[in-house]
Amino acid sequence: MSHNQDELFRLVDYSADAAERIGYSNYSYWRSVLQNFLKKKSAVVMAGVFFFLVIFSFIALAISKYDYATLVPESSLAFIEPNSEYWFGTDNLGRDYWCQVWYAAQTSIKLALIVALGECVVGLIIGCLWGYVRVLDRPLTEVYNIINNVPNIIYMTLIALLVGQSFTIMAVAMIAFGWLIMARNVRNLVLMYRDREYNLASRCLGTPVRRVLTKNIFPYLVSVVILRLALSIPGTIALESTLSYLGLGLGLETPSLGVLLRNARNSFLDEPYLLIFPAVIVSLITITFYLVGNAFSDAADPRNHV
Amino acid sequence: MIKYTIKRLLQSLLTVLVVATIVFLLLRMLPNEYYFTEDQVNKLSEEEKNERLRAAGLLDPIGEQLLRYYGGLVRFDFGDSRRIQTGVPVLKVISERFMVSMRLGVSALLIALAIGIPLGILQAMNKDKIPDHIGTAYTVFINAVPPLVSYSLILVFGAHVLGLPSLYSTRRPGISSILPIACLSLASIAHYALWTRRYMVDEMNKDYIRLARIKGMSNRNIMIRHVLKNAFVPLAQYIPASFLLTISGSLLAERFFSTPGMGPLLTDAISRYDLNVVQGCVVIYATLGVIGVFLGDVLMMIFDPRIRLVGKGETR
Repeated sequence: MSHNQDELFRLVDYSADAAERIGYSNYSYWRSVLQNFLKKKSAVVMAGVFFFLVIFSFIALAISKYDYATLVPESSLAFIEPNSEYWFGTDNLGRDYWCQVWYAAQTSIKLALIVALGECVVGLIIGCLWGYVRVLDRPLTEVYNIINNVPNIIYMTLIALLVGQSFTIMAVAMIAFGWLIMARNVRNLVLMYRDREYNLASRCLGTPVRRVLTKNIFPYLVSVVILRLALSIPGTIALESTLSYLGLGLGLETPSLGVLLRNARNSFLDEPYLLIFPAVIVSLITITFYLVGNAFSDAADPRNHV
Repeated sequence: MIKYTIKRLLQSLLTVLVVATIVFLLLRMLPNEYYFTEDQVNKLSEEEKNERLRAAGLLDPIGEQLLRYYGGLVRFDFGDSRRIQTGVPVLKVISERFMVSMRLGVSALLIALAIGIPLGILQAMNKDKIPDHIGTAYTVFINAVPPLVSYSLILVFGAHVLGLPSLYSTRRPGISSILPIACLSLASIAHYALWTRRYMVDEMNKDYIRLARIKGMSNRNIMIRHVLKNAFVPLAQYIPASFLLTISGSLLAERFFSTPGMGPLLTDAISRYDLNVVQGCVVIYATLGVIGVFLGDVLMMIFDPRIRLVGKGETR
């Protein structure tokens, strides 16, 4: 109580500069996302493992003693256990397994990334239209129901028989049916935020639709889109391996996880290394990506930002 | 309620019809050469080929074929199989496989429910403790690792360590179904554990649970009488659908273990141009899917009397 009021408060002159500084926050969406993400140490480690594996798949092929393109079946060399000459051993036809496994890992990553990106672009565009444009709601919902009600495997089998089997065809086919889930998620969110008061106000003030979508609604979508991506990449790798295993995916000349395991199905009971190498590498890729995606999606949710 | 049910059933019927039509039209896009075996393509002359196609009705205008197909559907007549089991009615071909898939699928589903739901409850009750982390690790593993890889791991483990047969055999259906059932239930266990945990955690954060705790109700009682009961409602919705879908079988698991079930039938039938079998399968799949969703809504209403099924197809 001994304090004099003069010591506690002091008069400040009005300064336009200082007033501006309080009124403006230096919040940046993407910086906050990154900050939030970096706080999670386990996710950062996982991201490191993921990128290391992706980069190493190129290095592995470069330092390999054999080139995939010049492998020749040689029955006398079949089922050689891993040694200094054949780092991952040889398969049932006597071909080096190391370069096949890494090539397959690369094929899987490439396919998954292309499909994820395609799904993301198509799904976002159609999802936004679906949610924002009222007239389109009914027809798009019908299209969704019809495609969703026919087992996907029928489409995939017909495509494999009618169009053919190659990397491009497979990627396009997967995008053509994969955008549905992304579009539905985006649509539900757009629908939820479209008529919130702040958007209503924004529209009344004459903000163009493009700006409402990109600045007001998009930040809410990012976390869901990333979560979908995190699920889509393991999903694509799984679908590719299933289809290739059934003989409906990539041709036998393109090694991929499905093709490798299909070839090894009858041998890996006796030669477990034929299963373990591709299984461990591909699982590491999908698990790390899945966890990183989940963490990133949490970080991207603006509700978790301070 | 009755009016709503009838409306809903008519809608479902329409969905099945649309799906059947789409698949019918898609299948007609396959080139006619697939009708013949490779041997026949080389041996038969053009006229003979056309003769056979005409006899099978494949050269008629597409509208006429479609009408004939609808006529068959009304009488539950899907025609005869051509390649899979030549001359046998499609329904008979399907029902044989159906029993195999159903036996595997229902056992897998029961195991999944019996393990998955308790696992989810255990996780929710020990949130952020060791049991929860173990359960989460399991669900992450199942969601992220391609099923082909996890099936292979189970196969190696089952065949090597436990000495179980690595392929399904009709002579010993009991012991050789163990590995396929294990594979099938693996994913569903993760699914049920994940959703049980999520719904229970959602429910545990609600005010009435806090009230129950304040008034001194035991943790065990709260969990069983409040949380689980309410968390089960959204879960119940999916059980009929997954039950019915077990019939359609799992494509990968059944092919992986060479099980003579419904799963491989569909792709076999498409690639061998057995159109009647494909159409029969698709109609059955679509019907099961639609009925499953409908029964799910009904089941949810039984568990939660607050939910009323109202018109316009809205369920909540």
